[in-house]
Amino acid sequence: MTAAVATASLRRTFGSVVAVDDLTTSLPRGGVIGLVGPNGSGKSTLIRMLLGLVRPSAGTAEVLGEPITDPRAYAGQVGALVEGPAFVPGLSARANLVSLARLRRLPVSRVDEVLGAVGLTGRDREPVRRFSLGMKQRLGIAAALLPDPALLVLDEPTNGLDPAGIVEIRALLQDLGRSGRTVVVSSHLLSEIESICTHLVVVRFGVLLYNGTVADLLARAGTHVDVAPEHAADTERLGRVLADAGWHVTTPAPGRLRVAADGDAAAAVNRAAAGAGITLRALTATRDTLESVFLQMTGGDGGEPAAGRAAAARPVPAAAEGGAR
Amino acid sequence: MTAVVRSELVRLRRRGVVLGWSGLTVLFAVLVNVVVFQVVEPGGAPAENGPGVSFPSAAELLGREGIVSGLGAAASFFGVTALAFWALAAASDHSSGLVRVLVAAEPRRWRLLLGKWTALALATAGATLLAVVVNVLVAPGAAAAGGWEPTAWGQDVVPVVLGAAVDLYLSLLVWGTLGLALATLTRSAGIAIGIGVGWVLLLEAVLGAAVSALRDWLPGTTISTLAAGGTADLSYSGALVLGLAYVAVAALVSGVVFSRRDITD
Repeated sequence: MTAAVATASLRRTFGSVVAVDDLTTSLPRGGVIGLVGPNGSGKSTLIRMLLGLVRPSAGTAEVLGEPITDPRAYAGQVGALVEGPAFVPGLSARANLVSLARLRRLPVSRVDEVLGAVGLTGRDREPVRRFSLGMKQRLGIAAALLPDPALLVLDEPTNGLDPAGIVEIRALLQDLGRSGRTVVVSSHLLSEIESICTHLVVVRFGVLLYNGTVADLLARAGTHVDVAPEHAADTERLGRVLADAGWHVTTPAPGRLRVAADGDAAAAVNRAAAGAGITLRALTATRDTLESVFLQMTGGDGGEPAAGRAAAARPVPAAAEGGAR
Repeated sequence: MTAVVRSELVRLRRRGVVLGWSGLTVLFAVLVNVVVFQVVEPGGAPAENGPGVSFPSAAELLGREGIVSGLGAAASFFGVTALAFWALAAASDHSSGLVRVLVAAEPRRWRLLLGKWTALALATAGATLLAVVVNVLVAPGAAAAGGWEPTAWGQDVVPVVLGAAVDLYLSLLVWGTLGLALATLTRSAGIAIGIGVGWVLLLEAVLGAAVSALRDWLPGTTISTLAAGGTADLSYSGALVLGLAYVAVAALVSGVVFSRRDITD
């Protein structure tokens, strides 16, 4: 089966700014795929190219096996919510969806189905201008679901939703992923990506940094054991004891020590402390989160690249398919 | 194509568009009839034309086509209204970001634009019909209030009204297409309307005064002539050909720009 999305040396520039640079990658079919990167990393430009909104400067790409130079070949199988929901504010939610259903030659009954899927049944006669941000977001997802898409591309899908709404939409996306559809979620919320995505694509300055499963990435994440002696005065002595036992020890905060070791070492650390007559008030085995891995991968850069910097200071791309650099 | 038109018609049914366009059409149709039959004096000197208004002569008002003379006199008002709503329909797709959704769903952009044009042309037919009906209803009362006794009005009333409706409709299509093109180019309803109105009220008058040979070829004059069914300076067929040329150029420019431009709104 062909990939949901495949790109080859895909590049897009806006003047001197390189938004997407020589991007070669592929996204598998089925499941929920996270697309992450700092602001200005080229995520939106990539999505716009895949949807036929922006043309590439160079390179090729395919969506559901069809070239992006002919987006009408796959437009009927792709639903998208790009950079926030967009509707006619003076029209009701239903009329907005009916308008889009007619454009896609879909039966109006499909409108009721998607309204139900996002929990807007009963509010559909209200003008969109009266909707909260969260309701607009739900409506945007409903619009993306209209064609019953094989590929669903959602930009910040839970933006503006209340906690219950976030849980609801996450469950919906996971259900869609499990049903064989490909759901690409672009988000800044790494906790969200970690909780719903099976696959992850990381880009920075338009360059691919990682493409693989979330599990593979987290398996490479560092683990450590954080300890805190009962009496802060024992911190230095505990550090020496643990270092003498062969562990690499750092001090992340006064009165706390971080031992570079996997979670299984926690018991040994505890025994070493007890052997030195030091009682611990805290002992925590911790694995790096996706957020910390992401920050390490992207150099902790969360800002947008300046025009000149995008082209001049970009890191040299490495073979990133299936692994982090 | 039918799908695009049906989709666009749903969006055009929004209250602001329907009430705004209808309201302005009724207002101008009533207002111009009241003013025309008060300003033009039977047997008096021809009334001086104002910006966007060309008053008919007393003979024209008394003739069998006098009952629809308000349509021709207010053609520029109806036209500016059409330009504004066509521009609004096109530009709001960009300002709201809806154009992303539309192009992603229907990537054939020429088809999208043509569908929008067709839907707006249908809406314009509705506005034209409303203008004609209101005009025909108001004109006798306005004439009586102004002291006119137009005995010839009942002659050939159907062809007269139909002819005036077709002329007005064609002129509004030119106005609207220009509005659509300006909005597609600028992606701003305000700028498009400003340019359109500024052109008709100011620039065209200045250009026409500076280069008299140009006067009958400029869009405002062409459209006014089309709405009036021809004038002594420019024949109806000449105005029709010129109007079609303006529509073709405006449609071509907006189509080329829309089909080639990146959708970054």
